[in-house]
Amino acid sequence: MFRSLAALLLLSAAALADTSDGDALKGMTWEQVVDQARGGTVNWFMWGGSDTINAYVDGYVAERLKADYDITLNRVPITDAADIVNQVLTEKEAGVTDAGSVDLIWINGENFRSMKQADLAFCGYTAMLPNDGLVNWDNPAVANDFGVPVDGCEVPWNTVQFAFAHDSAKTPEPPADMAALLDWIKANPGRFTYPAPPDFTGSAFLRHVFIHAAGGPDSLLGPFDQAKFDEVSAKTWAILNEIEPSLWREGATYPTTVTQLNELFANGEVDFSFNYDPAQFGLAVEAGTWPDTTRSFGLSDGTIGNTNYTLIPFNSPNKAAAMVVQNLLLSGEAQLEKAKTEVWGAAPAIEIARTAPEVQSGFAAIKTHPSVIPASELAKAALPELQADWLTAIEKGWMETVGN
Amino acid sequence: MSTSLRTLAALALMAFLILPLLPLAVWSLAQGWRFPDILPAELSTTAWAYALSPQSGVLESFGITTLIATATTLIAALVGLPAGRALGLYRFRGRGLVVLLLLAPAILPGIAVVFGLHGILLRAGLAGTVAGVILAHLVPVLPYMTLVLAAVFSRFDPTYEQQARTLGATPWQAFRTVTLPAILPGLLTAALFSFLVSWSQYLLTLAVGGGRVQTLPLLLYGFAAAGRNDLTAAIALLYILPGLLILALTARQITGRNTALVSGARP
Repeated sequence: MFRSLAALLLLSAAALADTSDGDALKGMTWEQVVDQARGGTVNWFMWGGSDTINAYVDGYVAERLKADYDITLNRVPITDAADIVNQVLTEKEAGVTDAGSVDLIWINGENFRSMKQADLAFCGYTAMLPNDGLVNWDNPAVANDFGVPVDGCEVPWNTVQFAFAHDSAKTPEPPADMAALLDWIKANPGRFTYPAPPDFTGSAFLRHVFIHAAGGPDSLLGPFDQAKFDEVSAKTWAILNEIEPSLWREGATYPTTVTQLNELFANGEVDFSFNYDPAQFGLAVEAGTWPDTTRSFGLSDGTIGNTNYTLIPFNSPNKAAAMVVQNLLLSGEAQLEKAKTEVWGAAPAIEIARTAPEVQSGFAAIKTHPSVIPASELAKAALPELQADWLTAIEKGWMETVGN
Repeated sequence: MSTSLRTLAALALMAFLILPLLPLAVWSLAQGWRFPDILPAELSTTAWAYALSPQSGVLESFGITTLIATATTLIAALVGLPAGRALGLYRFRGRGLVVLLLLAPAILPGIAVVFGLHGILLRAGLAGTVAGVILAHLVPVLPYMTLVLAAVFSRFDPTYEQQARTLGATPWQAFRTVTLPAILPGLLTAALFSFLVSWSQYLLTLAVGGGRVQTLPLLLYGFAAAGRNDLTAAIALLYILPGLLILALTARQITGRNTALVSGARP
C-alpha cells in the first residue's frame, strides 16, 4: 500500500518535468523540448504599468499557450527590471542554481549587460526555436543589444524607435531636427524639459544631443574612446547648459522619471514629451491621460532605435516551457496581434517578409493610431544605439556638469 | 460654547481625514483629467472595470494581502501575548536589552534588514512563498504587538487571576474570563496596528516575495510608477477599505468605554 503510494508520488514528480538542465535541452529536438514543456508553468517578470500590454499577455498569449501546449503563464508585474537582475544574482550567491524563481524577463540594455557579464543568462539555444528563422540576425540593431552582442542569450520581442509627442492644438508645427528643437527651446522658455539621467528615456534624449554635438553618429560607433568623448561631451554640456535657463522651472530641477514628464505634458506645463516606444503615445490617448490632439514626430537627423528582448535566467526550472513561450511570442501571428493599434501597437521584431502571406496582409492592413507616427516613417531617419560604456560615461558627465 | 467648539474640531478633523480621499474618488472615475480642468472632461468606469476584473489580479491580490495580514496578526498575537505579559508584569535582568531588541526592527530602516532577511529565507526555501512573506512581516509587526501589550499588562493587576484561581477556575478559564476581557481593548489596538503594518509593507514583500507574492501595495506602486492615475486611484480606494472597516468594527472597544482595565486599574 505504502510502496505503491510512494511509487505514485515518484511518478507524479517525474511528470512535473524539471527542465532546469539547459545543456540537456540543447541536445534535444524541438519536438522533445515541447514534450518537456507540456504542463509547465512560466513565471514571466515584466514591466506591468500598462493595462493594455498586460491584457495582451494575459489574454492572447496566455490563452494560446494553455490551449496549444497546456502551459500556464504567470505574468509577474514589476516596476524595474534591475530589481529582478538583483534577485537572480542573490539567488546565484545563495547557491540556487536549478530552482530559481524567474523563468523569463522582458529586458534590454544595461540590465542585459549585467546579466550576461555575471553569467546569469541561459545562452546558446535561440537557434533551436522554429520561429528564430523570422529574425534578421544580420541586422546589427537586433544582433546587438545596446552594443552588447546577443550571442543567443535572449530573443527579440519588439523594436522601438525614439519619437517626440506634441499637442497639435497647441504646437501645430514642431521643430524638424535637433538644431531647430534647441532653437525652439530658447525661443519658448519654460516649455521644455527632459528627465534627468539615469532615467532610461532622459538618458536617450541626452544621447540625441550628444550625437548632434558630434555632427552625426559615425565617429561614436564602436568601443568607448576617451579622447573623442572629451571632445564631444564638452560641446554637449555647453549646449545643455545654454538651454538650461530656458527649461521648465529654469532648469533648477528636472523630472526624475519619464512618468513625471508625461504628467507635465498631460497638464500642458510643457509642450513635448518623448518616448522610446511611440506606441505608448497611443495608449496614453486611449487611456484618457493625453489629449486626442496628441501627434508624434521623429527628427530629420534621425532618432535612436533599439530592440527589446525576452531572456531566460540560468537557474530557471522551467526552461523548456519558457522556450516555448519565446517561440510563440516570436511567431508571425503573435507579433501581428500586438502590432494591432487596439491591442498595443508595438513594432515587430521579425522580418514581415518572412512570415506567411495572411500574416503579411494582416500587417499591411494595420492602421496606426493617429497619435503614433508609423514605424516605417521613423525608420527613414534612424540612429544606432551607442555602446553601454558611452552611455554610462554620458550619464555620469551630465550629473557632474549639468545636473549639479 | 465648548460643545460648539468641540463640534467644530470634530468637523475639522473629519475634513482633514476625508478631503484627501475625494480626489482619489474623482480620479478613479476620470477619463481625461488635465490641468486646468476643475473636474474631469468625461467620467468613465473603465478603471473600476479593470480593477475588479479577474484578469487584472487586483481582487486576487486583495485576498492574498488579507490572508497575509490576518495570519501575521494572529501569529504576532500568539507570540506577543506571553512576551508582553512578561515585559509588562515582571522586572528581570536584561529587560532593557529585550525591549531594545524588540524595538530595533521598528527603528532600523527596512532596507537595512531586507537583504539579509531575503538571503536567510532563500536558503530556507521560503523566498517567493506566502509563508516566507508572513515570516518577514513578523519582523516589523512584532514590536508593535509586544510593546502595546507590555503597556497593557503593566496596568493589569495579576491578583485578579489569582482570585479566580482560588475560586476554582482552571488557568484557561482564568485567562478567558478574567485576563482576556481586561486586556481586550489593548489587544485589539495592537492587532489593528499589526494588521495595518503588515497590510502596507512594500519593500519586504517585494524582496522576499520575489514578485511572486503580489500584494496590493506592489500592484498599486506599479500603476502609480507608470502614471496611470485612474487605475491607481481605483486600487487605492480598495486598498484603504480594510483599515476603515476594522476601525469601524473595533472603535468602541478601543476607546475603552466598557473596559475592565479602567475600573480595575491600580490606584
